[in-house]
Amino acid sequence: MSEVPDNLSYTKEHEWLSLGDDGNVKVGITDYAQDALSDVVFVELPEIGSSFSKGDPMAVAESVKAASDIYAPVSGKVVSVNTKLEESPELINESPYDFGWMVTIEPTGELEDLLDSDSYQELIA
Amino acid sequence: MPSRRTPLFGHHNDLGAKIVDFAGWEMPIQYSSILSEHKSVREGVGIFDVSHMGQIFVKGSETIDFLSHVTTWDMHRQKEGDCRYCHILDEMGCIIDDTIVYTISEDNYMLIPNASKISKIFDWLSRKSESFEVTLENLSDDFFCLALQGPDSPRLLGQHLNTSVGSFQLVKIGDTIISGTGYTGEKGYELIGPISEVVSHWESLVEMGAIPIGLGARDTLRLEKGYLLSGQDFDGSQTTLETGYSWVIDWNHDFIGKEALMEFQKKSYPKLRGILIEDRGIVRPGNSVFSNGIEISSLTSGSLSPSLRKGIGLAYLDLDIGAPITVEVRGNHLNGRVVRMPFL
Repeated sequence: MSEVPDNLSYTKEHEWLSLGDDGNVKVGITDYAQDALSDVVFVELPEIGSSFSKGDPMAVAESVKAASDIYAPVSGKVVSVNTKLEESPELINESPYDFGWMVTIEPTGELEDLLDSDSYQELIA
Repeated sequence: MPSRRTPLFGHHNDLGAKIVDFAGWEMPIQYSSILSEHKSVREGVGIFDVSHMGQIFVKGSETIDFLSHVTTWDMHRQKEGDCRYCHILDEMGCIIDDTIVYTISEDNYMLIPNASKISKIFDWLSRKSESFEVTLENLSDDFFCLALQGPDSPRLLGQHLNTSVGSFQLVKIGDTIISGTGYTGEKGYELIGPISEVVSHWESLVEMGAIPIGLGARDTLRLEKGYLLSGQDFDGSQTTLETGYSWVIDWNHDFIGKEALMEFQKKSYPKLRGILIEDRGIVRPGNSVFSNGIEISSLTSGSLSPSLRKGIGLAYLDLDIGAPITVEVRGNHLNGRVVRMPFL
């Protein structure tokens, strides 16, 4: 059974978003996604300052067998990336909602098409 | 063609395995984690259900002559109880499949073709056997194959069957063959026998501590040792010489493809080489390989090496050991080098 915290928003692409007090959005992949990927052994993160439109591939998480694109859940500019993932990509498996976060984005577009925890729970049921 | 399942499919499912289609079979790619399964085989003992692989039996008074004709090895050199890895070539010297040949007795041999090549190999051998006093039987549907692999496998085999088997030797217990062979580069065995017996072998070996291993780790384990994957590292258009496996050829006998190989040997040709990636990143089959900025080849195999924690791959290259290359992954060039195999 995958963990789906109540206080986060989700996308159909199995990412989670957390809206900070500063208006920036922290993004990672869900427990369900990390389990489906299994051992994450390499993460390619965007450069700080790069801009993406919603739906653009912005990062890649690779397991032994496959590479998975991570899509920008909202248009915006990357303001920070989790550099710990370079040395310890397994943090995504061990702590997908906390130490395994991937990027924070300063949104330039609307936060839309997001799922709440109940809807996401239903999606993966 | 509907997917097929081995008798252990329910066991794999109960263990929570992720199932994928492989050569028309629903097979476990991993149970828990490729990394931990890989480590179990390198450091402990793992068990693989590879019952999708084929079993072709060749019997009759001219078995040795026939198999020497259709493989790169001279079977006259085999003794009863010997196993031998060799290639089956077409007239052009290109590899149709690689296989281990088991000498059960001088007029009873077994071959283990890869799952995707069983009917191709059986048809090929049938056509080539017309002038020989032999009978061929494809018993692939009636036989299981389990691989028990890892440094701890001799102890488990002893505990399970009260026997020991040397490297590339076989013993027969009832209708089951136990050979000192595998695809991981570790000490290990393959058990091959009537399919009705597979469940009891699996259950008792797992009970004794063998860790179930999926095809994902099977691939990383073999790649670290530079073993070929049929259909991927050779696809019907490469000769044994290009794969760098010339040691499987006994030139002192006549066999299908020999003349072509002798001609081929006169020219220079790219060889399958190991590539070790020095930058962080993982390479995949199909990624382009560059030398001095020019695209020269693409990877036939590529993965993370769980043991080295670096990207490794195979490619047909006209470069020497030590030559620097780059591999293009999603538009970025990762630096690497041609290295001696095995990687590990």
